[in-house]
Amino acid sequence: MMVLITGGSGSGKSTFAEGVMMRFAKPYYYVATMLPYGEEAHRRIERHRRIRAGKGFSTIERGTDLTGVEFPYGKGAVILECVGTLLANEMFEEDGAGKDAEEAVISGIMHLKDEASDLVIVTNEVGSDGYAYGEETTEYMKILGRINIRLAKMADAAIEVSGSQPIFLKGAIR
Amino acid sequence: MILVIGGFASGKRTYVKEVLGYTDEDMTDQAIDERRVVYNAQNMAMGDPEAIDKTIEELCRKDVVIACEIGLGIIPLDKNERMLREAAGRMTNRLAKRADKVIRMVCGIPLVLKG
Repeated sequence: MMVLITGGSGSGKSTFAEGVMMRFAKPYYYVATMLPYGEEAHRRIERHRRIRAGKGFSTIERGTDLTGVEFPYGKGAVILECVGTLLANEMFEEDGAGKDAEEAVISGIMHLKDEASDLVIVTNEVGSDGYAYGEETTEYMKILGRINIRLAKMADAAIEVSGSQPIFLKGAIR
Repeated sequence: MILVIGGFASGKRTYVKEVLGYTDEDMTDQAIDERRVVYNAQNMAMGDPEAIDKTIEELCRKDVVIACEIGLGIIPLDKNERMLREAAGRMTNRLAKRADKVIRMVCGIPLVLKG
């Protein structure tokens, strides 16, 4: 099944998403989109690694173009973390898709869906702080919003996590 | 303890007054004193881990804790702002685990997330 999990920073969505993964059959793959730049990214990556420790995940680090992701131990459950970072990489990194970022993100995720027995996608809610941003950031927010809508349409279940509590927006987890 | 969360001006304090029956005199702004309701608890999330543990213990003894959700926007460029929203979210999660009831306000409508 395909599950979309959204929420704000510090909402508890990663922990919840990894709990959802435990319902699915192994092998477990963790597709990490955060590029390990700087101390803060390292700390964040460390924290996510700690949450996953001992749960049997193989981590695949990939910042852009997910259509090239391969799963070395056969078909399994895949968690993608997170769409917000992936889109930022596709839009703003040198090896990203630039103006084709939206389709690059979607086709990358479609590739994961084809290759996985189950797919858990973690995305981000960024549209509710009421600030007016510059052109680039506004474009990023628009595209992320569109991608989230497209993914929610395709997903069997969509959940927002808030205060570590799941709010089921669509479907259920079997 | 009842935890009430939601965005800025989403109706959290109004809910606590109109539905839970507290008054302005019962409420204190990000402080621990004799009053039974604490609001702006998200601003109490920064500091060393022991101090935060203590704050959480004290908040769990209140009747009602109100916390703004501040993590639902573009991740700020400023490092301190980033840390604050992350810490606020994590503290809210810990309060939610301990709470008897968690209510999230959206457009003045209470959604029961727990209890």
